Amino acid sequence: MATSGTASTFRPSISASSRLTHLRSPPSKVPNFTPLPSPRSRSFSVSCTIAKDPTFLMAEAENTKTAGSDPTLWKRPDSFGRFGKFGGKYVPETLMHALSELETAFYSLATDDDFQRELAGILKDYVGRESPLYFAERLTEHYRRENGEGPLIYLKREDLNHTGAHKINNAVAQALLAKRLGKKRIIAETGAGQHGVATATVCARFGLQCIIYMGAQDMERQALNVFRMRLLGAEVRGVHSGTATLKDATSEAIRDWVTNVETTHYILGSVAGPHPYPMMVRDFHAVIGKETRRQAMEKWGGKPDVLVACVGGGSNAMGLFHEFVDDTEVRMIGVEAAGFGLDSGKHAATLTKGDVGVLHGAMSYLLQDDDGQIIEPHSISAGLDYPGVGPEHSFLKDMGRAEYYSVTDEEALEAFKRVSRLEGIIPALETSHALAHLEKLCPTLPDGARVVLNFSGRGDKDVQTAIKYLEV
Amino acid sequence: MSWTKIQVRGQPIPRVPARNHRMINSFVCGVSIKSHHRVSNVLRTNGSSLGSVPIRTTESQFLRGDGNGRFGRFGGKFVPETLMSPLKDLEDEFNFVLGDHEFQEELTTALRDYAGRETPLYFAGRLTEHYKSISRTTGDGPEIYLKREDLSHCGSHKINNALAQAMIARRLGCSRVVAATGAGQHGVATAAACAKFSLECTVFMGTADKEKQFSNVLSMKMLGAQVKSVEGTFKDASSEAIRNWVGNLKTTYYLSGTVVGPHPSPLMVREFQSVIGKETRRQANQLWVGKPDVLVACVGSGSNALGLFHEFVGDEDVRLVGVEAAGFGLDSGKHSATLAVGDVGVYHGSMSYLLQDDEGQILKPHSVGVGLEYPGVGPEISFLKEAGRAEFYTATDQEAIQACRLLSRLEGIIPALEPSHALAFLDKLVPTLRDGAKVVVNCSGRGDKDLDTLIQRGLPSSLC
Repeated sequence: MATSGTASTFRPSISASSRLTHLRSPPSKVPNFTPLPSPRSRSFSVSCTIAKDPTFLMAEAENTKTAGSDPTLWKRPDSFGRFGKFGGKYVPETLMHALSELETAFYSLATDDDFQRELAGILKDYVGRESPLYFAERLTEHYRRENGEGPLIYLKREDLNHTGAHKINNAVAQALLAKRLGKKRIIAETGAGQHGVATATVCARFGLQCIIYMGAQDMERQALNVFRMRLLGAEVRGVHSGTATLKDATSEAIRDWVTNVETTHYILGSVAGPHPYPMMVRDFHAVIGKETRRQAMEKWGGKPDVLVACVGGGSNAMGLFHEFVDDTEVRMIGVEAAGFGLDSGKHAATLTKGDVGVLHGAMSYLLQDDDGQIIEPHSISAGLDYPGVGPEHSFLKDMGRAEYYSVTDEEALEAFKRVSRLEGIIPALETSHALAHLEKLCPTLPDGARVVLNFSGRGDKDVQTAIKYLEV
Repeated sequence: MSWTKIQVRGQPIPRVPARNHRMINSFVCGVSIKSHHRVSNVLRTNGSSLGSVPIRTTESQFLRGDGNGRFGRFGGKFVPETLMSPLKDLEDEFNFVLGDHEFQEELTTALRDYAGRETPLYFAGRLTEHYKSISRTTGDGPEIYLKREDLSHCGSHKINNALAQAMIARRLGCSRVVAATGAGQHGVATAAACAKFSLECTVFMGTADKEKQFSNVLSMKMLGAQVKSVEGTFKDASSEAIRNWVGNLKTTYYLSGTVVGPHPSPLMVREFQSVIGKETRRQANQLWVGKPDVLVACVGSGSNALGLFHEFVGDEDVRLVGVEAAGFGLDSGKHSATLAVGDVGVYHGSMSYLLQDDEGQILKPHSVGVGLEYPGVGPEISFLKEAGRAEFYTATDQEAIQACRLLSRLEGIIPALEPSHALAFLDKLVPTLRDGAKVVVNCSGRGDKDLDTLIQRGLPSSLC
């Protein structure tokens, strides 16, 4: 897995420098910023049911003078942090400075050789990169048609990273960035605990104080992960408000950040949230796609034909896709969670069933009812159990650059078992959604088409859950 | 059918007295046990692609055994007649694949793309700093590096061997694999390799172990293996697995997880694990243009230790330190410190040190690190101890748990409780080393499987 020398680990996609919003002293009463409305308060989210025709909107948007079909001309994002009409910075005034500071730091570190070298070293020796691009022989055989034709399936093994998922790529880079900013305190929110564990891990490694906000309900269900975080030296704070789950933990974390913004960095786990987070988290994960390009060239002297990844917030998918967005002959497929089925009302298929609105500081698709209230999502996999999606995914969908489908809990569980048995690799339930989609995808692909699937995490954490449902 | 247990007491040249009628039917294969043989190791024929091999002196060749299953007086093939032929077939196949380019290529690819090799040699900066700050001197202190076998597929070094042997099983035309597992790591690795190579898999596991490492049991089932319970622990599971193999010799391959058993198992497993040491040599050279000064590894049966040590056995300036499990303490009678307090005898087909009472009955071992709970130890390890080439110490359950917590907190790596024993020994080792000494610890596995045990022990209040 040693690389002979990595180029810049990430590069920002736009060259325009950020514009610092003018500083104002914070209001004497800090507004209680609840990005997700609690049942009793008014909805803050913007329910936009404007024209569903994206090209119409593209023409109107002042910062996007791009031609619709040429990705190389797209600004991802523009200087306001917008991907088309999506993205942006829907936050209280108190956070604007911190976000600008973050953005400036991020751009300057992109060209900082010391930082790049340090990050590359940590990704190699601590995280274990580069992760292999593994030819899944038995899975390929499984999809071979009767006439002997079929696609070739490759798995990008993010499950082999330290802590068992792609999450650490971003956590490590953000922790390093926080250190550069002189911050000694890190906060994060977590649902099932995976992002919390990744954050606690890097904080231990870098000697940073770590506070993880977790819904009290989630803490009960994920006692093992709570213990892990504490073993790693993090403080886990239970959140009892609202439904005591992820969205409430997020609100609490944001509240903490607003209060302690001078000393504290907020490690957001996905490509959601206000600018610059979607761009930053994507760029920190982009190493996945960069390695894939190089490995594909080594292995078959070409590029992948199709990229497949599961989509919750969208970080592992963007990490794989980003490198190839400009290569229009490479198909990009995101797979969301359909839970009990798209018609059941219990799912997390934001891009299929959602509407545009603002959540957690960014405009994007989200699952909302007619009053703009957030619908509680459901998926058997905690990592996909998110009512929103990263703004860049919303953009790629509207531009037709990426296709999005969904897969039910049952289909995911079947894929979980299938891949474990065929390849001896237990996938995370999140990843299983992408694997399940192969059932529908592969019969449509021409002979020899090369599919790269982002194997975003290992499934040790899910075996207990899966075994209940499967007859093993 | 049970294995003969022969106690050999304090004689410079061991004789093997016949304790029961079964001894008459078995014999030692290969070199006479009466003399040490300085025979060159003819394992490598046309040059294997397992990595470049440094020039071997007669001394270092001696230290690697005679290539026929004897490591000094240890090792051998104490098995009934029925097994002599399959073991010979295995040995022949093994010798062939060592030099077979196609096999080596397939194995290298599998190790790289499937298992995730090479594993990093990671400089543990905060751990190094920790020892520096508590030491008496004002110098820089030794530097601590971790060989990250915890990052391998399935979470430990076991996959290196499981993959290679599964490939051999396929070559031998076996459709079925049996294995025994203690902590479950070898079971999971075997189940994974069998799934990948389309082999049926049955894993035997002690009931006591199943309780303690339940998550691994679930993983094995998920991977398609059949998990069979055996009353007791690993040693009992081993016996049962071997019994099952003997009953199904035509279709079944016995996949040994560690460097014990009759020849060629100890040799084979060590060879397949030696990739750890080979990588370490290359990485050490890249990182500091030199060799490690001290290698530290935990010792249950000895597979991860030999995997790291073997490459450096001929480098006299490299210290080899093995750490066994002292459980509740050496005086408590509840431990697995075979080399510390054991005697020489024959167990599971080879002669080695083992924990036995005065009547030659095997003692029940204990350790919080389930993978170290074995009353014997690999014959090659016994040999390295007797030859004075490697040093062996112990660490208690409590010390191992402390070390696990320390690494978690300082480096964000939760080690398995087995390598935690090796890490625990750093407390005693580091103060004795010179500034700048390079210590490489084999972090042989990750600790996810041990969380339940750690939860039971709780966390010190300072950590909550």
